[in-house]
Amino acid sequence: MIQKLVNILLVEDDEVDVMNVKRAFSKNNIKNDLFVAGNGVEALDMLRNSIVPLPRIIILDINMPKMNGIEFLKELREDESLKNISVFVMTTSNEDSDKINAYNLNVAGYILKPLSFEKFISSVATLKDFWSLCEM
Amino acid sequence: MINSNILFVDNSKVGIEGAKKAFSTLGIENTLHFAENDVEAWDMLDGNHKISPVPKILLIDINQEGINGLDLINKIRSHEDLKSILIFVITSIDNEKNRSEALNLNIAGYIHKPIDNDNIDFFSILYNYWNIIEYSSEKK
Repeated sequence: MIQKLVNILLVEDDEVDVMNVKRAFSKNNIKNDLFVAGNGVEALDMLRNSIVPLPRIIILDINMPKMNGIEFLKELREDESLKNISVFVMTTSNEDSDKINAYNLNVAGYILKPLSFEKFISSVATLKDFWSLCEM
Repeated sequence: MINSNILFVDNSKVGIEGAKKAFSTLGIENTLHFAENDVEAWDMLDGNHKISPVPKILLIDINQEGINGLDLINKIRSHEDLKSILIFVITSIDNEKNRSEALNLNIAGYIHKPIDNDNIDFFSILYNYWNIIEYSSEKK
């Protein structure tokens, strides 16, 4: 999948976290195009109005203004043209209710953002290896 | 670290032995249950031979004769207590229809089967991935 360089959409409101994902991608030599939406409303608008090429992967934060990650996921899964996109939650929320809701909406993984950047780079490396096994 | 049963649906001896060997070599301590086909797997998920607690991870070889993988995934996704299981589909042949249908059922990954000697790398990547993700502690 990585070899085919599918597009990735990051839905994240925190600019520092966006920078961290970009840096971790760069450190891990992930060259897929990365698009960014600041919250669920913006992401749905970008996806439904073809503002970005349709991604095969979405990296999703949970706590965001306007529309949070779980609300976004519900909308995504109910939308025939978007429902099959693979979603990886990447969040600081360790709430069990968020994990349950996310897995009930069939995310491919719920990743707790590690506190140290080194560990974050390593998590993204593991994600890259996993993506390289998958066909999207 | 994932603490869950894992259910592997596979009816080939090579596949089963390969998985056992890889789990042992990699020191993966999760209990690995095997089902030969979709019917047996369903019996282990919601029948008389229920695995407890419900596995959070299911691996299924989708292209083997006698395994109706898509049917099983459909049933899991429609079942209130099972729908959140992480499903990894393993396949040995290219089949666009199966791939697309499986992705529509929101599987966690559609993965090409490794040639035998790549088993360790294959399971090592999967295991590392299982270890960076969180699971709900909800008991079912």
